[in-house]
Amino acid sequence: MLNLHVIAGTLIFLVTLVVIMVRPSGVSEAVAAAGGAVLMLLGGYVRPGEAASLLLTSWNIYGFFLGMMAISALADQAGIFDMLAHWAGEWARGSGVRLYLAVFVVGMVITAFLSNDATALILTPVVYALVTRLRLPVMPFLFACTFIADTASFVLPVSNPINILFLDAFGGGLSTFLRYLLLPSLFCIGLNIAVFVWLFRCDIRTRYTPSDLPEVELPNRQFFNFTAATLALIAVAYLVGTATQFPLSFVALGGSGLLFAGAVRYRCLDTAKFGREISWSLFVFITGLFIIVRAVENLGLTAAFGRGLLQLAGDSPLQAVLITAGGTALGANLINNVPMALVMISVLGTIHANSLNRALIYASIFGADLGPNLTTVGSLATMLWLFILRRKGLEVSTQEYFKLGVTVVPVMIVIGSLLIWLNL
Amino acid sequence: MRVICAIGQRGGSELVNRLAWIVGDKAECLLLHVIDTGPRHDLEDYLRGSLHRRPDHGEPPHGAAIKAAEETAGRAAIEEAMAATQQAGLNAESSVKEGKPEEIIVQVAKDVRAELIVIWTGEGAAGHPHIGPAPLGHTARFVIDHASCDVLLLRGPV
Repeated sequence: MLNLHVIAGTLIFLVTLVVIMVRPSGVSEAVAAAGGAVLMLLGGYVRPGEAASLLLTSWNIYGFFLGMMAISALADQAGIFDMLAHWAGEWARGSGVRLYLAVFVVGMVITAFLSNDATALILTPVVYALVTRLRLPVMPFLFACTFIADTASFVLPVSNPINILFLDAFGGGLSTFLRYLLLPSLFCIGLNIAVFVWLFRCDIRTRYTPSDLPEVELPNRQFFNFTAATLALIAVAYLVGTATQFPLSFVALGGSGLLFAGAVRYRCLDTAKFGREISWSLFVFITGLFIIVRAVENLGLTAAFGRGLLQLAGDSPLQAVLITAGGTALGANLINNVPMALVMISVLGTIHANSLNRALIYASIFGADLGPNLTTVGSLATMLWLFILRRKGLEVSTQEYFKLGVTVVPVMIVIGSLLIWLNL
Repeated sequence: MRVICAIGQRGGSELVNRLAWIVGDKAECLLLHVIDTGPRHDLEDYLRGSLHRRPDHGEPPHGAAIKAAEETAGRAAIEEAMAATQQAGLNAESSVKEGKPEEIIVQVAKDVRAELIVIWTGEGAAGHPHIGPAPLGHTARFVIDHASCDVLLLRGPV
């Protein structure tokens, strides 16, 4: 019997998603998620003990988020991002096209090892300042930063916290991740660069005067060297950690602890700035979503969704992979990729484990990571990037962003899904 | 003849040379460069609205560096154009402002009772993906629509 309890629970879930999406009267996503979670707890959809144990078992993702944000903030304080952008400018030797390619490469490396948010939030303004100084058109470079932040976010498990959510839930090390996602990743990055170079060819063909390249004023050369060496160490530790399925939060927190100690040692720590660069409300947001999605799971809704997905896929694994990747990408656009990822994790948890299931896990990662490129809403990284851009004074209309997104994302989804399916 | 030269990020000296070639040394130029911050107002409206307000992410990182880069780039653009006016023997003053370039160009032209505005056709088009023939930039478009004086459109390198 479809009783009032189920209807009310579903309503709480849907209303929370709508509030996250629409944000009426400026209600932040964190408040919306927390409100939804409280209602779910009060309604008895999740027992308090269950919620507590759920949050306790999610320590790895909290630790990873915190460590990841701290590493990016400290690397920024050391001048790593400025220096990378400067090297890109030196390497390009006055050619706009070479600089454009170099920005893609720098964005890809930063995304791969420091996450999509590091590229979207920190590299973007650095590149903006550089390109403005060189008197080149900024828009193509900004699009390059934001797109590569999403397109390169499934190069490695650490490239996007969403990936860690999936790997925490289903296990799986570096080799499986690369087996499913390396080829789609390389393909999407290649296509992204090729399409953008073509679309913006008129603007980026411009030359700049290499002597206009500003010198980087490092706060402290020793701290810079220390940070560069520590980041290299963290990168290696991430690779070893994912290969051996060692908790990545230890690596992220350990690495950020080391950088923090270095910042104190070299007297380069700006604590106020550091505190501002950590998005504390993100933790509230994730916590709320964990509880809401568990409530929906307890109601059996995600299991029903899972059965529906399998039914829709019929006997064709390719169809299943395409629907999962495409559906997750669309969902990530409509709501936000964190709740979409959590729903997919819950759905896939109810499907019988086999090789198709594993492919569907990676198809979901693929969709949740890449999908946000389709429109302005969808991904934390993209939303934050647009925020910075608007603060900066550039209005990127949803329409313009969407035009770019629809140019490349559907092709990426289809070809990427085919590549994942080939691994079945 | 009082002429406003709309100096964008690039092509300022070329614009001055072409102007000198067309009108001779009779022109008295005001070299005007506007640092484009117009959409910041849209942003503020947007932030006051409900959709994407991010209360916990205060000032954007590297804001000071961006501002410094804008100012240096603006000065460089004006200096290039100023050097060209000296070579061409034109009288010139310069001004750097912040805001929406299209609106400020039109307003300054009104304020100084300019008789002519010179602008590249592509001014304001840079950075937007375009397919097909080179479009008229949105700054140039606005200036044509709203200027209270004649507008000289130059086809060229911007």
